[in-house]
Amino acid sequence: MSNDILFLAEFNGGAPARSAIELATGAAELAKQAGGSAVGLAYGRGAADGAASLGAHGATRVVVLGDDDRPAITYAAAAVAATREAGALALLAAATPNGRDLAAALVGSLHVPAFGPVRSARIADGVIETEQATLQGRVITTSRPAEGAPTPSIVLVLANTFTPSEGGQGSAGVTQAPAAEESAFGAATVAESHEADAKVVNLEEATVIVAGGRGVGGEDGFGPLRELADALGGAVGASRAAADAGWIPYQLQIGQTGKVVKPSLYIGAGISGAIQHRVGMQTAEHVIAINRDPDAPIGEFADLFVVGDLFQIIPALTDEIRRRKGS
Amino acid sequence: MKIVVCIKQVPATGADKRYTDDLRLDRNGVEAIINPLDEYAIEQALRLLDDGSVESVTYLSMGPEQAAEALRRALAMGGDEAVLITDPALAGADEWATARVLAAALDKLAPDVALMGMASDDARGSLVPGAVAAMRSLPLLSYGSELKVAGGEARARRLSATGFDWIAAPLPVVASVTDQVGEPRYASLKGIMAAKRKPLETWSLADLGLTADELSGAALTQVTDARAPEAKPPTERIENLPAAEAAVKIADWLAARKLI
Amino acid sequence: MTYLPTAEHDELRAAVRELAAERIAPRAAAIDETAEFPQDLRELLAKQDLLGTCFGEEHGGTALDTIAQSILVEEIARADATTSLIPIVQKLGSLPIIIAGSDEQKDRYFPRLASGEWLIAFALTEAAAGSDVASNRMRATRDGDDYVLNGSKRFITHGSVADVLTVFALTDPAAGGRKGMSAFIVETTTPGFAAPRVEHKMGIRGSPTAELTFDDVRVPAENLVGPEGDGFKIAMATLDRSRLGIAAQAVGIAQGAVDAAVAYAADRQQFGERVVDFQGIQWMLADMASQTEAARQLTYAAAARVDENAPDLPYWTSSAKLVAGDTAMRVTTDAVQVLGGYGYITEYPVERMMRDAKITQLYEGTQQIQRLIIARQVLQRAGVAKPG
Repeated sequence: MSNDILFLAEFNGGAPARSAIELATGAAELAKQAGGSAVGLAYGRGAADGAASLGAHGATRVVVLGDDDRPAITYAAAAVAATREAGALALLAAATPNGRDLAAALVGSLHVPAFGPVRSARIADGVIETEQATLQGRVITTSRPAEGAPTPSIVLVLANTFTPSEGGQGSAGVTQAPAAEESAFGAATVAESHEADAKVVNLEEATVIVAGGRGVGGEDGFGPLRELADALGGAVGASRAAADAGWIPYQLQIGQTGKVVKPSLYIGAGISGAIQHRVGMQTAEHVIAINRDPDAPIGEFADLFVVGDLFQIIPALTDEIRRRKGS
Repeated sequence: MKIVVCIKQVPATGADKRYTDDLRLDRNGVEAIINPLDEYAIEQALRLLDDGSVESVTYLSMGPEQAAEALRRALAMGGDEAVLITDPALAGADEWATARVLAAALDKLAPDVALMGMASDDARGSLVPGAVAAMRSLPLLSYGSELKVAGGEARARRLSATGFDWIAAPLPVVASVTDQVGEPRYASLKGIMAAKRKPLETWSLADLGLTADELSGAALTQVTDARAPEAKPPTERIENLPAAEAAVKIADWLAARKLI
Repeated sequence: MTYLPTAEHDELRAAVRELAAERIAPRAAAIDETAEFPQDLRELLAKQDLLGTCFGEEHGGTALDTIAQSILVEEIARADATTSLIPIVQKLGSLPIIIAGSDEQKDRYFPRLASGEWLIAFALTEAAAGSDVASNRMRATRDGDDYVLNGSKRFITHGSVADVLTVFALTDPAAGGRKGMSAFIVETTTPGFAAPRVEHKMGIRGSPTAELTFDDVRVPAENLVGPEGDGFKIAMATLDRSRLGIAAQAVGIAQGAVDAAVAYAADRQQFGERVVDFQGIQWMLADMASQTEAARQLTYAAAARVDENAPDLPYWTSSAKLVAGDTAMRVTTDAVQVLGGYGYITEYPVERMMRDAKITQLYEGTQQIQRLIIARQVLQRAGVAKPG
């Protein structure tokens, strides 16, 4: 048993996912508190070549589980074997579908405690202690492993919980994963792959998000929102209603069943603020809501609530911002 | 071809929920419903029944005796029979214990597809499908916006970073679906009446060959504190202003916070 | 005999309430404004098996007891009075066949009525014969194997959207309305039938109230319901049962108004306090709620007696309809009062509920007719009824 902190590091298209970098940063922070090292479990295309670079974000060592373009869940057996061998205190996984799948496989195979998705984590009394928002954000619970629980604890981490710092130094030591048994998880294959026409931004990485809901009225309605997002250097997101209506791709849906985002600025236009959307953005640092309905629920938790017609206010705001920026 | 849909009964959204003094979720006196995300799994299973891809749909739930209501509601939407696993030792069970119990029950029911919703509303758990797959040594097809079953395999349509993929695996599988499956159907009156006559069995831990000890006192995690979130300052409002003026005020607000 | 709702009744209520809240209530204002028959909701109710509750399982119905049927109507009316007329009239139009029709007629029509594929309406009232049913003038003349119908009807709910009607016409004009009227089933595709106009109304605006004309409409003799001359009796027996649907509708409208008034008053602040905390408002809400409950319980008591075929059934159903209709009018008027100025504008639902409530005091027997029916029973019980 060591005081190391493991983290899952997803690679795709040859580069580390942002979650890999955030989790490396988080694992390094926790490892420092625990008196151990941050150890990455890297998988996906680019993992072999890119593993060492995780050292710049605090990883001491990285185990490469595999370097292919296949469903993340097919790396589960290798992840389990590597985790058994490592004997760490905790393992951080991204609260994304892939991260959750691997975390679930670990919990099922190893019978260890699971936490999350958490909004913060630290080491206290030699064990991991986490905070999570439950009951739709109405209660914040603090949790830790039960007395005598086995290790590692699996911790699901939301995007933007750990903030990577720029320009880190260091190269991590890279090892190959121990041999893993054949696993049924490996039977999943990509039978068909469909790319969307437009390029889709990863909302979890955006620091500014302008999101549209039912009030935007249609695909064209998102035009002014895009202009505002551009002026602010941000990305466009949407509520489930807009995604269901086909006005934007589902990758841009923010909410309980979509992306959970934590930008420093979130502007919601024509979004009523139902709980399913709220849980996807309520930890945003600053929330502005624009809605024609003065009683819209979003008005209760926004920092600034602007009552009015979004199709007049948003272009006016875009102009004003551009004017101030001198462009 | 048989599907088992795992569902959970949870407190209704918006109900006045709280933690009890011993820091467990207080379920008393609160209206209980089917976990909303499980309704999509039910809908997906019933669509596969409607189009003939599968021949039977069974519902499985682990919970207190009251959870039989959720099973009856599911049966009212469609499907053939239900199984409730209930045992005092399961109170406060965590995700691992839940997965262990469901896995044992699923091994007994041996479906071609074990289907679940993507997460549960009350504790935001999402690890059960994957844990069950691990315990049963079966492939996992998770976060599907649609599920197809044909030719000895199952396929799930899954969002990728830039579009979507169809992920395939040979049967039997464990699968989970998202809310993109489509609106769950209402239970019709005939469905409600028929549900009363459909078989609902109750199993205990002993029926699954499990003991309370094996489930290690049912929880590996403990909640040490529960509190209300930090109070936020009251919402500032801008109303009844022409758009240009409102825009200036908003920009001032952003500038004051160094956001522009 | 018990008329306490059972757990199953509660389950039904919960299911219909959910459907009404999610799919019917959001449409209510638009239906009222455009005065359009809600075809989409008719299809939804049919799909949910809610139009077949008065038919037997052998015909594809669900044979619910009368309390359950009342609960169903009540929960829909709570969301929208217009939509609640769809199950109400489906039963009203079918009752003559249920009461007096042959097995062949039931087999022929009930399956499509139970599934909601067809709508049925009840065509009794004429321009000159409202409360005075016996003054009906429409004729049905025997001609070979057919009857030929001539005349017109007025104020027929769903007359312009129904696929089939139960129509009352004089087969023996000389015998007068009470002895010479007969009941017929008429399919609206029959040549000579027309629904030339619908009324513009104060309330239940989405429900088409039609004038019907019959110009040498030929119906086969197999479509005669019961024997010739039994028409008046069948009509009265029908209304004895169908008016309970109006009682349930009125209870639902009243409850919707109570709920809307409470919600508004809890949200609205005046003089630094919530309006709902003012004693004067609380007294109003208490009267509204308890009177609605009284009407509801009387409706269930009447429903139980309908299922028992009680000999004094008309006394019960008339009492329920009288009390519920007057309660709905009073409660909805008070609801508008609770909302003050906001109660008068169309942005809030209570003004529509008040306009909708009025009809429950008028149709299926005016409140004055109900009082005559009740009084007859009161005098009989006291042994002081006029002989003959």
